[in-house]
Amino acid sequence: MNADPTGTQYPHLDLGDLIAGAAGQPIGDRAREHLASCEHCQREANRWNLVADGVRGLAAAAPETAQPARPRRTGRRVLAGPWRRAMLVAGSAAAALVLFVGVGEVTGYVHVHLSGPGSETALTAVTGCSQIEQVRGTLERVNGNSLVIKTASGQPVTVTTTATTFVSMSGPLLGDITDGASVMVRGTTSDGTIKAAIVTVGQPFSAVNPPGFVPVQGTVADASTAGFTLVTSSGTRVPVTTSGDTLVVIPHASPSQMQAGLAIVAVGDAGPDGTLSARAVAAVSQPRSGAHIRVSVRDCSPSSIDEAIGEISAARVSGS
Amino acid sequence: MNDLHRDVGAPTFTGSHDPACDDTELLRRIAQGAEDAMAAFYREYGRVVFAQVLLVTGERVLAEEIVQDTMLAVWRGAGSFRGESSVRSWVIAIARRQTRDRLRGQRLRVVDDAFLADQPGSGPGPEVMALDRAELAEVRDAIRELAPAHREVLGLAFGSGLSLPEVAGVLEIPVGTVKSRLTAARTALNGILEKKGQNR
Repeated sequence: MNADPTGTQYPHLDLGDLIAGAAGQPIGDRAREHLASCEHCQREANRWNLVADGVRGLAAAAPETAQPARPRRTGRRVLAGPWRRAMLVAGSAAAALVLFVGVGEVTGYVHVHLSGPGSETALTAVTGCSQIEQVRGTLERVNGNSLVIKTASGQPVTVTTTATTFVSMSGPLLGDITDGASVMVRGTTSDGTIKAAIVTVGQPFSAVNPPGFVPVQGTVADASTAGFTLVTSSGTRVPVTTSGDTLVVIPHASPSQMQAGLAIVAVGDAGPDGTLSARAVAAVSQPRSGAHIRVSVRDCSPSSIDEAIGEISAARVSGS
Repeated sequence: MNDLHRDVGAPTFTGSHDPACDDTELLRRIAQGAEDAMAAFYREYGRVVFAQVLLVTGERVLAEEIVQDTMLAVWRGAGSFRGESSVRSWVIAIARRQTRDRLRGQRLRVVDDAFLADQPGSGPGPEVMALDRAELAEVRDAIRELAPAHREVLGLAFGSGLSLPEVAGVLEIPVGTVKSRLTAARTALNGILEKKGQNR
């Protein structure tokens, strides 16, 4: 409490008391007694209370849940932080988006639908964000940074990428697990050997670990078609077995790594000539039989697009 | 006088709290990869973080993304919590850093406008009288027009359930500076109200 600047009759409440009171926190008995009898402090307390009520009123008015698609951007580039990319890809790889389970209460979810062969041609709007277009089909060839995709109807579509396009690749790409590669292995263990369910090749690695899987990080040695030895940072050598069921995720893929026949889903902006300037591309090797992938996003935000593409990369394992 | 002071349990942005739920234990379990613990943590703190970030940014989509980033940071960094602060102030501090990172270089500046935010107001005067006359709805509208640093400190002090020392910890400034910033925020708020009153 402060001494009364005009005399010594009583001390006024100090700012800490007034703020604590307005914030609903306890104040001392003396302060409370003084407040009851001091008109000056009562006015001050009322002012702070009104400010505090205003703040709380704004909070109370904050929306609880996400609304459907909003045609609004946050100005964030599609290429989110690399950790986010890895988290999205590897985290969703086993349908273990634990964080989004919680966050979804506020933000909603992204969805990836797998359905039978579609009859659409060329570009179609992305569900949840009509501002962006999607194309899906089979990769016919790669021309530098452009992908030529053949849609289900046989129509070719050119997808252009840039350095900021989010390009992920996944599938039983065991050939991409090479000696010296930095990897994160997630799988089950038995007798000191890891049976790999997911191998993420290249940093950064997701911190999200699908339930039931043991995550181990290290460097590849003795790579073969049957597995490899994972050398951890401490020098421990862990045998890892792989199979055709092992999902290999490459968060930082490039068009040059892609081969004809991959299932491609790309979302982006349609050009006047029928091309698609891609914001994100998912290349999936051996998607589930007969499946076509349809993208729907929570909204038009770049992160929502990243999430959707990340889930596509993992669709083969997650069984979405 | 009736509304001069609230009980200790005055409402904040907080969600429902399970008394049996120990936040530190929650973090320990999150660090071990327990999904249910993460979900419980979100239920406990998602709302308060979202409200605070929304207050500062004023953009819902951006606020949602920052909440996601914050919760991801919690998931990744739960093991680093050393108990030197409350869990509440810890997660709000994370959210603040996430907000700062996202707003860096953009039109909103949370940190750089701190200097202006701390400049003392002119003291009680016509502005205070404006506040005395203001209705709650007018105050809410005026808060939206405050500078981000002012909205931030008001949200932390009155909406986040933090004590003044905890607010100081989150903002990484002395308690005295928190007080001066709050005073500056209120003075600015009064000014906005006064201006609106003159325009009516």
